Amino acid sequence: MGVRLSWRRRGALLLGMMGASALSCFGSAFSINELGVRASGMGTAFTAVADDGSALFYNPAGIAFQPGKHLQMDSLVVVGLFRFTPSATPVGQVVPANGYSQSIKPHFIPVASMYATAEINKKFTFGFGMFTPFGLSANSTNFHDDDPNLTKFVGRFAGTRARLEEFWFQPTLAYKITDNMSVAVGPAFVHTHLFIEQSFLNPLDDGLTFGRQAANTIFPGVPKEQAAQVIARLLPEGRSRIAGTANTVGFSAGFLYKSPKYKTNIGINYRSAVTNHLSGKASFAFGKGYTLEPYVGSDFLFKAFPNQDIKGTFTTPATYAIGISNTSIANMRISFDFRMQDYKRFSSVPLNFGINEVNTKGVALPVEQRLRFDFQNSYQYAFGVERTISPTLTIRAGYLRDQSPVPDKSTGPLFPDANRNSYMFGGTAKRGTTEYSFFYEAMNFVNRNTNVAENNKVFTNGLYDNFAHLAGLGLRFDMPQLPSLKKFKR
Amino acid sequence: MQFQSTKRSRFLRACLIAVVAAGAAQAQAKLDTTTFVVLGEGLAAGMANYGLNSTFQTRNFPAVMATQMNTAFPQPLIQPPGIGDVIGYPQREVITPTLPQGTVRVFPEQPNPNDNAPPVFVLNLSVPGHKLVDAINLRPVAPIVQKDMKQTVVNMILGFPQLFFQRTVPLWSQTEYAKAMFPTMALVELGYYEALEAAVAGDPTKIPDPVAWGQSYAQVVQSLRQLQAQVIVTTIPNPIETAYFANPRVAASIVATAPFILTAGYQLTQNDYITRKGMEVIATQFWNRTIGPLPAGSILRANVAADITNRVNALNAQIVNAAKANGAVVYDLNAFLHKIYVTGVTVGTRSINADYFGGFYSLDAVYPGPTGHALIANDILAFLNQTYKTSFSLVDAKTVAAGDPVFAYQKPGNGRYSGQQLRVTDGPADLLLEAEAAAAQEAAAEAAAESAADAPVDTSAEANLDEPAVDAAADAAPNPTEYTVTDSGTAAE
Repeated sequence: MGVRLSWRRRGALLLGMMGASALSCFGSAFSINELGVRASGMGTAFTAVADDGSALFYNPAGIAFQPGKHLQMDSLVVVGLFRFTPSATPVGQVVPANGYSQSIKPHFIPVASMYATAEINKKFTFGFGMFTPFGLSANSTNFHDDDPNLTKFVGRFAGTRARLEEFWFQPTLAYKITDNMSVAVGPAFVHTHLFIEQSFLNPLDDGLTFGRQAANTIFPGVPKEQAAQVIARLLPEGRSRIAGTANTVGFSAGFLYKSPKYKTNIGINYRSAVTNHLSGKASFAFGKGYTLEPYVGSDFLFKAFPNQDIKGTFTTPATYAIGISNTSIANMRISFDFRMQDYKRFSSVPLNFGINEVNTKGVALPVEQRLRFDFQNSYQYAFGVERTISPTLTIRAGYLRDQSPVPDKSTGPLFPDANRNSYMFGGTAKRGTTEYSFFYEAMNFVNRNTNVAENNKVFTNGLYDNFAHLAGLGLRFDMPQLPSLKKFKR
Repeated sequence: MQFQSTKRSRFLRACLIAVVAAGAAQAQAKLDTTTFVVLGEGLAAGMANYGLNSTFQTRNFPAVMATQMNTAFPQPLIQPPGIGDVIGYPQREVITPTLPQGTVRVFPEQPNPNDNAPPVFVLNLSVPGHKLVDAINLRPVAPIVQKDMKQTVVNMILGFPQLFFQRTVPLWSQTEYAKAMFPTMALVELGYYEALEAAVAGDPTKIPDPVAWGQSYAQVVQSLRQLQAQVIVTTIPNPIETAYFANPRVAASIVATAPFILTAGYQLTQNDYITRKGMEVIATQFWNRTIGPLPAGSILRANVAADITNRVNALNAQIVNAAKANGAVVYDLNAFLHKIYVTGVTVGTRSINADYFGGFYSLDAVYPGPTGHALIANDILAFLNQTYKTSFSLVDAKTVAAGDPVFAYQKPGNGRYSGQQLRVTDGPADLLLEAEAAAAQEAAAEAAAESAADAPVDTSAEANLDEPAVDAAADAAPNPTEYTVTDSGTAAE
């Protein structure tokens, strides 16, 4: 006999866990795979399993085979250990002995998901999930703005901070076609928040643009390019911050087939791409006391880069997953997933400035600035096993190979990504109608050494040596007394 | 020429060379030439002949270096005839602009002449007559033309066009200006004017106290290093080894007489020096067939010269210490010019040396002409290549020499004026004749001794005047580093 929590105590526990969910993470580029504790314990190979609330994420058709009403709360904690050692730096650059830490503060990033399912009748099951399939939190800001430039993070012109959260609120309806086959579809309300911070007026890049324009005025008679290089160093360093939100829709669909004869499940899952039309703000700040300031005026750069509202577009990829699982061997479930995410959609992030060089004199901002990333499609191979030790205890293990979609040229402070090999284990203990699950994942990033000529000017070439610890706790319990659902059933 | 060196000066020089060599070997930093600034005085500014003007500025050694390094190097070019006082001459009245000057500063030409304007900033911040204390403290002051030439030159170089702006902009001293340019590479050529001033005045005490001077120098280096610039400091050339000072043998070849005429006529020892000023007066006297008293500043006695050399070496030791303490590298300009002084150098078919009219120094006798600057630039570039593993190509000194009037200077050479032609106005009338007879006897004795040894020899006193200007005494002077300078101007240590 397990300890039975009262509904009130369960609710309080759930609310407490939700309160801790800051919803940010490192993912494959920015995907998050570990949105179910049970699933994560078996390498996220869950498309053909889908037998708990996280099926709403891994394969919504799975909820059709979940009788009764359940509420599930999964929480994930990520500790990312990210380190970058540049292969080249500006002359005189001070680089920490072990490279730059790109770990975020605080080190522990909580990610939470909540799933609820309710069997409506023998054919239909309703579910509602809140989860974050895409998220990112990167921080390479190891400095204060007024620190000497050569002590600052060397790759700051490629980015210093990034934060992305894409929340999916997904009601889902699953239909059991036969006793062994189901389909589901779930439209989703998607809320996205994006924040990007980076330094600009790089003396080797955009600062040169200004330098070229001013070359003949400041250094007449000097070759333009040489003059521009000198002038670019007389500018202050700028910091740009862009933040925006978007509300849009997406949807998920799933299919699950169970073969009792072969004790085999086959699952298919699709989650749509989402094009987020961002609305937000762009703000710019500059160092003071730079050499050219008395000549151009202290408001020159602020007029050239005015704070303003911006529009932008940010696309997250679609996910295609197919999985197979089998329970015919030694009281074990073995499962395998293959997933593809069409990250090719994420080629660029266009940002549109309302106040720009075309409509306002003295402004240096273009009508549209495109942050170009040119991601590749991402492929994931997940393998997991689950063994039932007793009616109240289950243990799991898994492996996930995650092929990074980030090309070398886009590997940097915003996406310090690499191919990953993740090793997981976990377990579930059942007490009464409540399941307590946990998992741990050691995510080892394959060391990545980049050497892209066009990145020389932002100094993001070098060695990316990353590792992440992930751990999660989950609660799943029945909701027999949910009044509204009772009424609905009648 | 004869180099009067004491044991102490030799020791200091040896220590200096050892430290410089060690520093160069240790330096493995990268060199970024994007913003190359030069702090210095007349040498780095390109002062030559009788002022600072664009004719020579465009060919000064920093400009040659910048060209070879393919980096921007806007200079405060001054329209001829130039500005600035020439050391050893009385200070001039400031008349700026003077004919044929217009804007005084050269404005680079634009497609539309109305758009012509000077550069807002310059990177060669060298100011003729600048001492270290000036480099730190002396700022431009309005109006641009002052009664004081030194301040006017500062205004023209460091305050132009800033002094004309309606907007309030900072007026920087040389060091402040250099820092404001955020240099990636800085070359510091300071201290030479302190040494020159003392040597020309014949007053070693004018050379500043080395410890205090060294502390100020270190502050300059440190402030540049704090910007992460690679800093190359140059040692101070020994002014005694410039064309301004000539021993009687060399001076005789310049004023067209025999050495004994000078030693006897002007009461000199072989180790004393006749200054440029002295040679000018002597030449005038000879023109009038007389030998008379010389004005102050014409003779530098050997002991004073040695004292100055020691004090310059002490300043150079401070430079080395400052560089070492702050991660700068030391280019031993003093050693290079010592080599020019001792052995000269062959450019094309001509051997030039540090004598007056020797082809290296201009008419002011302390600053080189374009060929000299090219040779210095090549030696520094070779030093940079060695120190920073760069591969800057060197300039063809022969090509530079082809268009260099300084390179074409020739000494009169033969003894046009004998003892019989000259009359001593302030001494025994037969002084020169006795000296001439003694010299003839001495020459005859030498000839006899050599004849006995079956060695062919020219016994005439005049023939000695045709000897190369590089003398045996100078050859014996300390020669810490060996340079090979080829016809193409390539130089290697």
